[in-house]
Amino acid sequence: MSMLIRRSNLMVPVTNAKFAAGAWRHGADAITLDLEDGVVPALKAGARELVRDAVAVAGKGAAEVFVRVNKEFLVADVEASTWPGLAGIMLPKVESAEDVVEASDALTSAERRRGIEPGTLSLILLLESANAVFRVREIIAASERVSQVGLDESDLSASLGISPVAEYDPFVYARGRMAIEATAAGVEPIGIAHPLGTLPRLLSGDDMLKVATDSKNLGFKGIICPHTSWVSSVNTAFTPTESQVDFYTQVRDVFAQAIAAGTAAVPFAGRMIDVPVDEWAKVVIATSTACNLRDAEKQTAMEAASV
Amino acid sequence: MAPASQPERAVAAPKSNTDVVLLDLVEFVAEQDKPSAREGLVEIVRQVRESGTDVFALVDSELLYADLHACVCPELTGVVVSHLESVAQVEEADSLISKLEDERGIPPGTLEMVFSLDTAQANQDAFEIASASRRITGLTLGRAELVMDLRPEPSGEIHLMQYLMQKLITVAGAIGVPAYGAWWRTPDRGLLATPENTGEAALRGRAIGFKGSFCVLENQVAPMNQGFTPSAQEATEAGKLLESYRAAVSEGTASIRQGDRIIDSGTALRARLLIDRAAACEAHDKAKVDALAGRPVPAP
Amino acid sequence: MADHIAVHRSGLTMPVVTPRFIDNAWRRGCDFINMDLEDSVPQHTKGYARTLIKDAITNVTKGGAEAFTRINHDLVLADLEGIIWPGLAKVNYPKAEYGEEIQLLDRIISRLEQERGIRPGTVEIGADIETSVGVANAYDIAAASPRVREFGGAGGYDMSRDLGVEMFVGFDQFVYGKGEVELAALALGLEPHTAPFTANTTGSVGDPDRAFREAEAARKCGFRVGGGLHPNVVEPQTRGFTPTQEEVDEAHQVLEQYRQLEVSGETWAETDGNIIDRYEAARARKLLAWSKLCAARDQEKAEAFARVEAAEA
Repeated sequence: MSMLIRRSNLMVPVTNAKFAAGAWRHGADAITLDLEDGVVPALKAGARELVRDAVAVAGKGAAEVFVRVNKEFLVADVEASTWPGLAGIMLPKVESAEDVVEASDALTSAERRRGIEPGTLSLILLLESANAVFRVREIIAASERVSQVGLDESDLSASLGISPVAEYDPFVYARGRMAIEATAAGVEPIGIAHPLGTLPRLLSGDDMLKVATDSKNLGFKGIICPHTSWVSSVNTAFTPTESQVDFYTQVRDVFAQAIAAGTAAVPFAGRMIDVPVDEWAKVVIATSTACNLRDAEKQTAMEAASV
Repeated sequence: MAPASQPERAVAAPKSNTDVVLLDLVEFVAEQDKPSAREGLVEIVRQVRESGTDVFALVDSELLYADLHACVCPELTGVVVSHLESVAQVEEADSLISKLEDERGIPPGTLEMVFSLDTAQANQDAFEIASASRRITGLTLGRAELVMDLRPEPSGEIHLMQYLMQKLITVAGAIGVPAYGAWWRTPDRGLLATPENTGEAALRGRAIGFKGSFCVLENQVAPMNQGFTPSAQEATEAGKLLESYRAAVSEGTASIRQGDRIIDSGTALRARLLIDRAAACEAHDKAKVDALAGRPVPAP
Repeated sequence: MADHIAVHRSGLTMPVVTPRFIDNAWRRGCDFINMDLEDSVPQHTKGYARTLIKDAITNVTKGGAEAFTRINHDLVLADLEGIIWPGLAKVNYPKAEYGEEIQLLDRIISRLEQERGIRPGTVEIGADIETSVGVANAYDIAAASPRVREFGGAGGYDMSRDLGVEMFVGFDQFVYGKGEVELAALALGLEPHTAPFTANTTGSVGDPDRAFREAEAARKCGFRVGGGLHPNVVEPQTRGFTPTQEEVDEAHQVLEQYRQLEVSGETWAETDGNIIDRYEAARARKLLAWSKLCAARDQEKAEAFARVEAAEA
């Protein structure tokens, strides 16, 4: 099975012509064209007409292209988005399994009409209420299309009447529950460490790298980026470092020698190396390889498009 | 909260400016004093209610029959049910209250229930328990740290509490009722909490989604109210934020920058809710002042 | 729920295939020895490894320790057939994910207990939560058999691999999972096997000072179950999980003050910034009972040591 590498997902309002046209240049693994909260109500109808071309442009650098649809205009938005080059849709405000089934059905119908192989378009779900957090298991399980699930912490805090402050993280439970339930179901959890979820801001590269690394260590597989400046730090944080790859390559060697010598537990660098550590070493090395491949693919596409 | 066995404290409680007076039949009433405390309870409820404050009774789910018979009257706002273990207890309480409403001339379904999830089983089954009665108007952890015997970690935080608090807030949010914080004030037990630590606990509680909490001493009421009320500065900042956001929207942009902050529609919605809440707190405080002064209180 | 409270303050997990570990295990003075058939035993020696358990039970318990065995998640029947012998106190089942798995273990163990003359219900099951699926089903797993008496997990290498996170990052990554598991344990009246989070950025397994600090912090939070991988941590864990004389004296004082309180008809009193009430009295009684159990366990181990020394002399 190939590994999904969708570390950074850059969100741009489809109505912002400059952002939509330039999004492909920033090296994001995915780009989401927003029809929902990023588009003011007066421009919603016109926004749909921009999607077809914007999908093609956003894909120039080999990013996967998604469209965030409006839940209340699901069918019209899906219809406007389903064109070649689309990887899937991001479904916000999911409250129930029925919401997911409805979106999946809309995709199936659009796939048929546009000659896209049924079932290929993917779903990224966003949970924005305590109810959704509590029902996350049935929500995730509702469709095979679901590839990732995340919290919209900004809307979640509003729905709970929370005025967030940096000192106290209100979503340790919500984030943890989503990460555990998604992982248990074989779906990727995405999200960001406190306080950037409720209080997003621009940070220096080092500070952003720290937040993104903490996010990875909470179990997340990627981050939705509201600003281009987040992208490169996010890609770096979710890619194993060279020193990690070196360390785990040594771990694999040491462990293989131990097995040959008849033992499956061997001390190395102050730790006890056994099967789980060796298994984890395999994952780190495989992830590194997959990230490097994905980066090379994007690099080639971006260079070709720049010419 | 005031022990039901000490009528003079209970009747004086509204002067502390508390939003609710909770008449305790569970925690600070000795076993041998409970029968006499129950006997005079309805009269205390009436007297407290005259000062315009909402009145709840804290009842024990193990002693429902006696406790509910002692407190249910038209002047009672509702009950806080403690030591819950099961959905069956909630159903029992609900039907007993319905019967008493009927017998005592109270419009059916008006008495509120707040569940105190202070046992491990109640927290495990929080969603089922909270969904078991339509009377529910709130959830709290009560004295969970004592009932469940949870103790401070080396950091001073009470073990497991972050998980339990956020689970409670999530379940309450899923049911659509407010969550109220517990009695303890890290690093103090509730009974010993200074006004300063109470204020800090309230600020912290509000930041993770609690809407209020319990006070055991009168000097805890003012810092508690203050901590759970958006400050004037917060309201002013929220107003400015909302204004710039609305200006941006009218020019076709739904996400703006304020310094290095990114302001999106969720942030703007939060700002609007904060302004509403500040106004609601102000109106409620004014109504309490009027009621204490004997002025007529307009209907909410 | 357990009809007796076990004393499992310190223990060593070791590969049963390494004779120098097993032969010296009884000298370590720990409350239990966990003989591993799983991660520390190479795949090709699994069959041989389980034949060693029967004799090893006698060997490792000479010093008064209880004998446990960690089996393989995917070799349940063969492993259980090989290890359920008189003297085995507990089977640790790794990567527990469904209640049905524990029910199956229970049925096989019950049959083997009967066939091999072991009092029914003797062998405890340790259901270790090490995956997201396990966390998602924690309550079902804990409730699946009365043999599950201690319950914990949701941290460690397997859990971090399952979630794809690095270990030892300096903050607690497992708050939700550990909360779910501990709440399930408390709701079912089981002994929670957990500890407060203390940052460990080195991953060291043999640091005695650290082991003591962690055990002491866990005891002060009300936890009682330990265990480790390195002989250096046995004594510090045993000491760290045992109440101090000062705590025992304080508990007696609390109970005396509570008796006076009851006479007075008050529900609480404050002395020197401490509250005395029924909750504090319950804590004091629990601490005194635990202190007695620890002392009895230490006495048992001392007597067992003396017997071995006498036999060898």
